[in-house]
Amino acid sequence: MEPRVAVVGIGHAGFAPITAGVSYKELMFEAAQRAYFDAGVDPRTGVDSFVCCSEDFLEGTSIFDEYVPDQLGAVQRPVQTVAGDGLFGFVTALMLIRSGIASVVAVEAHSKVSDVRSLGAIEAFALDPVLNRPLGISTLNVAGLEMNAFLERTGLSEEHCAMVASKNRTNALDNPRAAYPAHLSVEDVDDSTPVSWPLRDLEVARRADGCVVMVLASEERARQLTEAPVWILGAGWASSSPSLESRLWGHAESTTRAAEMAYRLADVGDPAEEIDLAEVDDVYAFRELEHLEALGIATGPELASLLEAGDLDIGGEMSVNASGGSIGQGNLFEANGLVRVLECVEQLRGEAGERQVDEAYVAVAQSARQVPSTSSAVVILANDAGAGG
Amino acid sequence: MLEKLERPDEVRRWKGRIPVSHRYTPGVAGDVFFTALRDRGVLLGSRCDSCDYTYVPARLFCERCFAELSADAEVGPGGRLVSFTISYTGLEGEPLEQPVAIGLVRPDGADAAIVHRIVETGDEPLEIGQRMEVVVKPDEERTGSIHDIDGFRPTG
Ligand SMILES: [Zn+2]
Repeated sequence: MEPRVAVVGIGHAGFAPITAGVSYKELMFEAAQRAYFDAGVDPRTGVDSFVCCSEDFLEGTSIFDEYVPDQLGAVQRPVQTVAGDGLFGFVTALMLIRSGIASVVAVEAHSKVSDVRSLGAIEAFALDPVLNRPLGISTLNVAGLEMNAFLERTGLSEEHCAMVASKNRTNALDNPRAAYPAHLSVEDVDDSTPVSWPLRDLEVARRADGCVVMVLASEERARQLTEAPVWILGAGWASSSPSLESRLWGHAESTTRAAEMAYRLADVGDPAEEIDLAEVDDVYAFRELEHLEALGIATGPELASLLEAGDLDIGGEMSVNASGGSIGQGNLFEANGLVRVLECVEQLRGEAGERQVDEAYVAVAQSARQVPSTSSAVVILANDAGAGG
Repeated sequence: MLEKLERPDEVRRWKGRIPVSHRYTPGVAGDVFFTALRDRGVLLGSRCDSCDYTYVPARLFCERCFAELSADAEVGPGGRLVSFTISYTGLEGEPLEQPVAIGLVRPDGADAAIVHRIVETGDEPLEIGQRMEVVVKPDEERTGSIHDIDGFRPTG
């Protein structure tokens, strides 16, 4: 994909179940300060455009664009908000640069979910108001239906899903920013209360506050700004059938389509072979497996053997959610997509500390907005060595 | 002044509410579906011949090929269980006194599936793929909403 665009700065703040006393604007300011310092840019003069991702109901406001410019240094500058996952903001920033409209773009997404007092009601509001909402079903129920259909189709078991939750909580022990690190055994997960059987309590990512800001730049500017650019080799995004009635249950169809687009642009032919690490949506543990299948990394039966052999662990064949994923780091809602890119960038820079994956050259970050939505996005990232210099 | 708070009892928070109410229009196809459900107790779907796909509830257009559809495909009441879940928690995570079974049933003649409660589970454990039936409320209790369907029950 030419001309190339790189991530040149990353910053984050929060990543805690509660960030008491700090407003969402201050969380954003803190993450933005770090990202601009990392990129070596002054937002008032060196950033051409700003993209923020948020959902009004989660913010408790409406018309959120008026709430974002000041804390990012974007007052009286080109700003837009995307009502969706952070990865959609990321690809918007990519397009701004590739189209020649901007050379340097900042993208932001955050969660201040500890301020939300009626999260279940907000999530239920995403269901069809005439057909589904009157039944009082929750997004956990939608996830339970999806999990049961997925396990039935693939032959994967509840225990395989428990293994994912155990792996991700354990990976988080080596991630200083993770909100929910724990030594959690497969049995602990398997014994936890069912919330919407077959989905269990410890297979659902816990909420967390936090913010991620990234600075993207054109190849020319990236070379001036950093010695360790992380290149965006490809990006894709797609929807599936929006309605519960007509969607294909048990398949992450939108991720399959988003991945096809990203692989085509990045010229990836064999993802399992060419990609070194994956950060994928695991807000519900089974979704990690569903998404790996949709990304073409392994089929259902292959996933069972990879899990059982520890090949998805850090240092395995393909490290998946070395960061701990959402289960280990916390569910940051619209920021989840940028959290996945953040980990890929740290890994590709060799800055991931105790959880550093050896020989990390090419990474995939995938995000799916919360159920019942079927929006997914996929980006392929590489360092200089992975991008062929 | 720029240092963060260190004590939780110093945290100041302001509580607010969003007063939102709304009116939702089921639409042309939705009206036909709910009228047929209320007056005749049947499920009406929409057939797209070029996609070989039958939607239920009825729709004005096909999401696959963008064709305009009509609402004249009667489906069910028998069908198959596509998936199910047993809910133990309410909307805000509170434990339910009684678990609730929720199912997805594909009515015979349809490709789409309907979401509803499973009102009778029978003696055998539920299994994906098993035969089910859509239970419609008695004539005098139907008002033209999704609640005109009581739920699903296993058959055979
Ligand atoms: Zn069609």
